Amino acid sequence: MTERIVVVGFGPVAARLIDELLPAVRGGLVELTVVGEETEAAYNRVLVADLGVGRTTAGALALADAAALVADGVDVRLGVRVRRVDRARQRVLLTDGSSPGYDRLVFATGSRPMIPNLTGLNPDPAAPVLPAGVTALRDLADAAALQAAVAGDKRVVVLGGGVLGLETALAAAEEGAAVTVVHNGPHPLGRNIDRGGGAVLAASLRNCGVRVAGNARSVAVETGADGGFSALLLEDGSAIDGELLVLSCGVRPRTELAEGCGLSTAAGILVDHRLRAHHEPHIFAIGDCAEVRCPEPDCMVCRSARGPSGLVGPGWRQAEWLAGYLTLLASGVPGEADALPPLPAEQPGVLVLKARGLTMAVAGDVSAEPWDEEALTAGAVGGRARLQVAQWADPEHGRYVKMTTRAGVLEGLVAVGMPRTAAELVQLFERGAELPADRSLLLRLDGPDQAGATATDPERTVCRCAGVSGASIAAAVSSGCGTVAEVAASTRAGTGCGGCHEDIKGLIEKHFQGAVA
Amino acid sequence: MTDGAATHCPYCALQCAMTLTVPAAAPAAAVPARPADAPLEVAGRDFPTNRGGLCRKGWTSASLLEHPGRVTEPLLRGPDGVHRPVSWEEALELTAAAVKDTRAAYGPDAVGVFGGGGLTNEKAYQLGKFARLALGTSRIDYNGRFCMSSAAAAGMRAFGLDRGLPFPLADLDSANTVLLLGSNVAETMPPFVQHLQGARDAGGLIVVDPRRSATAAFTADGGGLHLQPLPGTDLALLLGLAHVVIHEDLADSDYIAERTTGYSALARSVAPYWPERVQTLTGVPAGLVRDTARRLAEGARQGGSYILTGRGVEQHVDGTDTATAAINLALLLGLPGSGRSGYGTLTGQGNGQGGREHGQKADQLPGYRKITDPAARAHVAGVWGVPEASIPGPGVPAVELLKSLGRADGVRCLFVHGANVAVSAPDANAVIAGLRSLDFLVVCDFFISETAAEADLVLPVTQWAEEEGTLTNLEGRVLRRRRAIAPPPGVRSELWIMTRLAALLDAPSTFSEDPETVFEELRLASAGGLADYSGIDYALLDRGEEAYWPYPAGSSGTPRLFLDSFAHPDGRAVFAPVAPRRGTLPVAAAGAVSAGADPAGPDPAGTPMTLITGRLLEHYQSGAQTRRVAALAAARPEARLQIHPAAAAAQAIAEGDVVAIANGRGEVLCRAELSAGIRPETVFLPFHFPGPESANRLTEAATDPVSGMPEFKTSTVWVRPAVAGSRVEKVQAEVLQMDGAS
Repeated sequence: MTERIVVVGFGPVAARLIDELLPAVRGGLVELTVVGEETEAAYNRVLVADLGVGRTTAGALALADAAALVADGVDVRLGVRVRRVDRARQRVLLTDGSSPGYDRLVFATGSRPMIPNLTGLNPDPAAPVLPAGVTALRDLADAAALQAAVAGDKRVVVLGGGVLGLETALAAAEEGAAVTVVHNGPHPLGRNIDRGGGAVLAASLRNCGVRVAGNARSVAVETGADGGFSALLLEDGSAIDGELLVLSCGVRPRTELAEGCGLSTAAGILVDHRLRAHHEPHIFAIGDCAEVRCPEPDCMVCRSARGPSGLVGPGWRQAEWLAGYLTLLASGVPGEADALPPLPAEQPGVLVLKARGLTMAVAGDVSAEPWDEEALTAGAVGGRARLQVAQWADPEHGRYVKMTTRAGVLEGLVAVGMPRTAAELVQLFERGAELPADRSLLLRLDGPDQAGATATDPERTVCRCAGVSGASIAAAVSSGCGTVAEVAASTRAGTGCGGCHEDIKGLIEKHFQGAVA
Repeated sequence: MTDGAATHCPYCALQCAMTLTVPAAAPAAAVPARPADAPLEVAGRDFPTNRGGLCRKGWTSASLLEHPGRVTEPLLRGPDGVHRPVSWEEALELTAAAVKDTRAAYGPDAVGVFGGGGLTNEKAYQLGKFARLALGTSRIDYNGRFCMSSAAAAGMRAFGLDRGLPFPLADLDSANTVLLLGSNVAETMPPFVQHLQGARDAGGLIVVDPRRSATAAFTADGGGLHLQPLPGTDLALLLGLAHVVIHEDLADSDYIAERTTGYSALARSVAPYWPERVQTLTGVPAGLVRDTARRLAEGARQGGSYILTGRGVEQHVDGTDTATAAINLALLLGLPGSGRSGYGTLTGQGNGQGGREHGQKADQLPGYRKITDPAARAHVAGVWGVPEASIPGPGVPAVELLKSLGRADGVRCLFVHGANVAVSAPDANAVIAGLRSLDFLVVCDFFISETAAEADLVLPVTQWAEEEGTLTNLEGRVLRRRRAIAPPPGVRSELWIMTRLAALLDAPSTFSEDPETVFEELRLASAGGLADYSGIDYALLDRGEEAYWPYPAGSSGTPRLFLDSFAHPDGRAVFAPVAPRRGTLPVAAAGAVSAGADPAGPDPAGTPMTLITGRLLEHYQSGAQTRRVAALAAARPEARLQIHPAAAAAQAIAEGDVVAIANGRGEVLCRAELSAGIRPETVFLPFHFPGPESANRLTEAATDPVSGMPEFKTSTVWVRPAVAGSRVEKVQAEVLQMDGAS
């Protein structure tokens, strides 16, 4: 029998779920309905800032094509919101008055931007009314506002020193806008990065042309005569003038529909390891709106569970897993579905700054310092290897690396201004692989000597193709060969790819110079 | 001195032109490294591909002609396991009887044929016909399944046609940018490197390889870029490049509109692969991903951009999708069929191109025709003069064929031609066990290869310098192989063997021992197919004319494909969206480096590493030939495990130490070679060596779902020092034993 699945939300995570469910839809196993609040099908929200500075096009952001999905038999409802979920009757009531029924319901409602408490902004967090010139940079319309500001040489103020705020600021600055980042800690990325990394990061931001206002408590938004944003007012009485204010103060999972129908929520909608809402076998949640924390109080995996990460990668993995699970459920083989191993717990996320002029990666817990008590105490702590910290700081050149390890495996990392090192450390972190004992090896990846020096050993093979050493060539030259062709005829050096002709010339010249001298 | 025979090298698909001369007299001055015992002198010959260049393998190739280990008469294994000479008459009668017995007891599909990408077009063609008409079996496939099948499947899907390079190699000379993915041409086909000089001079050689290979080293000093992704993440890297091309508006939108279909779905499919995410997936810095994409786009406007793939990205369980991603990138940039840019795959084996066109593949008939297509079957049946129904249907691809050896419903009697599966096939231990479980194994070879050593009957066959024929090089150009010397008296050509056996088996149609006669029939059989050879004959080739297929009668061939249209009915190329398979993206689990499910080794407590396999300059394929060339064996006498000094230090492994590399499938013992040119979590083994050094004891027989290509490049292994001297002695003892067998 066909199973009816309704997906609430049509963002990147929902798009992946739908893609993965398509075979079951085409095969008649699943009747799929997707409800999206925006009028567009899913697009890549991660790149909205790029769109806002004109680096990409709205078309290139698309992750789904509504018409193609409809052709595949998916019921796509755009520009419609869910008013309420009727769990008793297994129906969702929509703003257009319809009420499709479901056998399985998937919440993929994502998150909404946090609107800070500032005088001049509507305090209702669920339905904020933002004055002209203030945007949270979440959707395509927000991107258009930023694009107009950048194109019009307006001053942009970014409130929030998180990764999205920094990316927006850097992109806008690189495209020529005057940008100020306002944040309330001693350095940007306060919650993710350590002091050293934060300091180097702030300096690098300034080098990229971004003004950084740290330790700044903002209190109000000032509007001009036209009712649009004109300045951000700080607690110390100063004002940061601008024409566009980008709010980048984090996101909050959208859980109100789930709460409204009586599901358990914490930061997000609470789901177990099978992404199922607590005590509700017909409802699932994935992506930014979901919080994986199973109902069993003694579950080891969930002991250290955090709220939703705000990153899209974990959501996509959840979508892939859930599609497989739902397909098995729909095939009428519940035994097989139950046998599907649950999705492994996510590691703490990795932040990689999306920017052109500045590279930064940070992951895990980086609070420990090399001279902390634990790192200096010999032996294991409570049967656990002790935490160790290796650090490299070169603020003058905008470079900083910290590796926090336990038994040689990274628990945290910071890399600023070292692109290859950053890429390598992130790999090692993701795989839980052991670092080389000589940590400086990882720093050298960004050194200029990567290619390695040329050997001058006479036994060194000059012609790899024919396997001829420098000594053999020198001998041939001594016995009368004076051109590359003659050396080739005598020794076969240079008769393959020809890449060593310059080396052979060098050896011939060396010989004759020696003869003159 | 005579003029000599103008022929081509016996080894790789570059098919370097060479001249073979019978020495007039003893040379006056001894030249170093030149084999004195060779009956022929080898000289490089000017030709557009090799421009007179040869590598060490080519230079020393003649020394095998009179090698003391050469098989010069049929050898039958006795009850004591020892091979002893028998007459040809007895050998052929025994073979025919074994075939008849097997067919009677188990049906025709219990007889199997395993061919090779080194066979001439004539042999490959007649072997396919022999299998289907004389043996009556559908069970034929070949070792090209290990090389070219993924790129071939991707090319068919995108362009409707698969020719390795759809343009002459010399076109690369003027390129501004060349992106080389998973190919180490500096070792595998050194004279090829001449054609990269232009790109190097322009700073546009971009090499993607987890190792700092000899080819990757060419990117130093301003030659270009080296990208070192984690093994098995090439697909994500290519999706990232496509993402940048689309998002930075580098795509050729006119070309996309006029010459392709499926763009918008492709654009959606790469939207999730922004450079920083790709960095996290592959380990390649986001900046390098952007630089590479921009350089390719700039190169296409400047002098031309080429994207070339090799086995490094193709020999994976997602090899077809990876090759497809490379093609998609090329199509976005408007490269294929543009005349001065393009996409190609670098064919490996000598006749890897021709060998995949004329009926050696389980699913094909001559002319690159599908065996399931009724029109194709009718055409070939007409040429062969047999009822269409007498041609069996599709068989099974190589890995599946080898897995079926000796099984109840599998192959019980096997013919092997031009392949050494005991060394070159994945999960070699299982393959050897399969060979031993056969009722009858016939191997045609000129040495006692590791596979021949398992045979009931070894039939000695001619070498390259002793025969006439044609091969098709990596450009799709048909070349003449010419005879320079008579074979030893007891040696026969495979065409002769097939002809005699066909008669003993009362086969329908005709078989011939004359290569030109067979080629004339191949022309007819291929006419109208994708790989149409009907306009080519020996006389044309002997005049030195360039013959690129398709070459229908009355045409002048096709040096450059796709200039006007692609081979799909609507003339357009197809964008096929691809993505890494579920579960291949990194998850929290440690050691999730391998795509396949690898069983734990004997030492699962240690650190798992990723094994990649590949080639050395001095050796070719399973090494059955090159290990017998004194100069090459002296240069590379044994396998060495390439390992990063940091990884080696962690295991207390020093340069030259004997190490054990193991997993649940087997164990390899060899010496370690420390190199900073490899990623610390990755190790590299060449696959040219047998016995305890055989890398394919560790590889998995998992295959690509589209092409049947096995996974050679990412196996999980555990590496440790081999304890005590006893192991070293064991290695030496086993190596000696192998030498003794040959």
